[in-house]
Amino acid sequence: MYTVILLVSCVAAFGADALPLGKLPKGKVVMALQPHHDDHTTDYGMGGLIARFVDEGYEAYYVRASNDEKDGSHGYARNDMINLREAEEATRILGMKKVISLNWRNDYMGPVPLDELRAQLILLIRKYRPDVILGHNPWEHYQKNPDHRNVARAMAEAWWMAGYENVHPEHVKIGLQPHQASYLYLKARLDWGLGHTPNIAIELNESQVRRKQQAYQTHRNVYANPASARGVKAALARESLMVPEFEGLDDQEAAVRMEEWHMDWISRVRGKQAGVTFAEDYFFVDEFDHLPGLKAYLKENVSAK
Amino acid sequence: MRERVAYARGSAGLPRACALLVCGLFMYTTPAYAAPPLVLVVAADASDFVLAAGGTIAKMAEAGSAVYVIRVTNDEKDSWGLPPEETALRARAEADSAARALGVKEAISLGYRAAELADVSFSGIRDRLIFYIRHYKPSVMFIPNPYSEYDRVLDRYYTGAAAEDAFRVAALENFQLPHGDVGLAPHLTPELYYYAQPLDPRRKEPESTATFVPRPKSVDIASTLPKKLAAAAALKTSNESTARRLKARLDATGRRLPILDTVDESSIKRLAEINVRGLGTTEEFRYAGVEFRIPRKYR
Repeated sequence: MYTVILLVSCVAAFGADALPLGKLPKGKVVMALQPHHDDHTTDYGMGGLIARFVDEGYEAYYVRASNDEKDGSHGYARNDMINLREAEEATRILGMKKVISLNWRNDYMGPVPLDELRAQLILLIRKYRPDVILGHNPWEHYQKNPDHRNVARAMAEAWWMAGYENVHPEHVKIGLQPHQASYLYLKARLDWGLGHTPNIAIELNESQVRRKQQAYQTHRNVYANPASARGVKAALARESLMVPEFEGLDDQEAAVRMEEWHMDWISRVRGKQAGVTFAEDYFFVDEFDHLPGLKAYLKENVSAK
Repeated sequence: MRERVAYARGSAGLPRACALLVCGLFMYTTPAYAAPPLVLVVAADASDFVLAAGGTIAKMAEAGSAVYVIRVTNDEKDSWGLPPEETALRARAEADSAARALGVKEAISLGYRAAELADVSFSGIRDRLIFYIRHYKPSVMFIPNPYSEYDRVLDRYYTGAAAEDAFRVAALENFQLPHGDVGLAPHLTPELYYYAQPLDPRRKEPESTATFVPRPKSVDIASTLPKKLAAAAALKTSNESTARRLKARLDATGRRLPILDTVDESSIKRLAEINVRGLGTTEEFRYAGVEFRIPRKYR
């Protein structure tokens, strides 16, 4: 199974075009709006970028929309608690300040009222006032997970509607002023067909990649599973092969090591495509992309005061 | 491969069936064909059809088409310093005025609350559109392109998806049975234009999917650009919202745009004009004509 994932990722990774390197925008706060505990640090993005935002002085917040009760084998209630604890630990490794849980029921977000979910995101955007929002690409095709689809779609409106005073004017009553995030970084798997086409690569340094690796394998309830290492070892043993690096490691440690290799490998592949050592790819939405008729004019005429 | 189209004056007085036949035949023989007798434009809000298709709509109206616009939402959110109720009232008057500037015969408002379509019944919107399609019997429909990605206004997506389905099922007698009792017969609209502002970065790339897709079509709107400018200028409330939000963003980040040093009626109008001119003198569509329904092997 692991080999299959690696092969599929490999095809996707090498099939992508070279991307320009992007600089991070000036700002103070970055907020990741995601459905699940582990979506802030996947092999297809977020962890390295979050670490870089933190390194460049941003405060980072993580919003987990679902309760993650299905991820793990400890029953719904325990899964929820374990996954939240692991998310708190993983985000701490990346330097994030807080995990905010909306606690919608995991994998049952299909029929969730989108306006209600969006209202929660707008409330949080007005409180934490992010300059940058990170999330799943709402225009990704073939996305089968209803939580990913709906949280992404709610986010696609919340990030800018939070700036409109006629949207949820009741928030003003508790002192929350309208606030629009100006930049979006969107991620999605690259091996699921059209829909997500990255337009930017973000360079990472070695420390950022290491933190991303560590954060990723902190989600022991779903990743770095000893069974995956056992499977790989058994498959190799059938052909009288072994991995020297596994010597002296138990299955749990070997699984962690495999996850680290994978994250290192994908970060290097993305980096090579952009002419640097390590990188992650995103679809970046700039502050004036929603005004296609004005973009060229603004580029030419906006200046510092 | 893009098709460039010019519209000629002349068919408005012909019987509808004859005109449709002529339209269909002309599509295969010459890039210029007679103006369609009746054009129905479905729009999510007051500005999307003006900015993405205004020049083409004006061109058809000039050539003799009777054009009707159905605006699905009430635009109540898009203003600066105005409550939703007043915004909606002004937006309606301004949408009417913009439509008139393009030569539209009537603008109809369905009145759904703007930015709240996500939880509105899809079939509810669709069924109201079916009613109008069967009533007006258009030969051409314009709808927001629900496949045009990266538009942050999702009302356009929801409207486009409902309109696309309305276009399809308005022709089928098993949809909305009571319509038969009030004389509204099923109607098949021969031509469909999907419109959108150029926000999708992949929109101009060749299709790489085997999915059955309408083809690209571009329309030169140089001759009707003044009408499009006038229509955009009529959307004063939305234009002010855009200008003031842009200025607020620039102020907050220590930048300036000279034209917005003073935000007043004149600078707001000027910015709206720059926006329309920046979109160029060509409007691009996805187009599904008569041949769209005929399998390739039978063409």
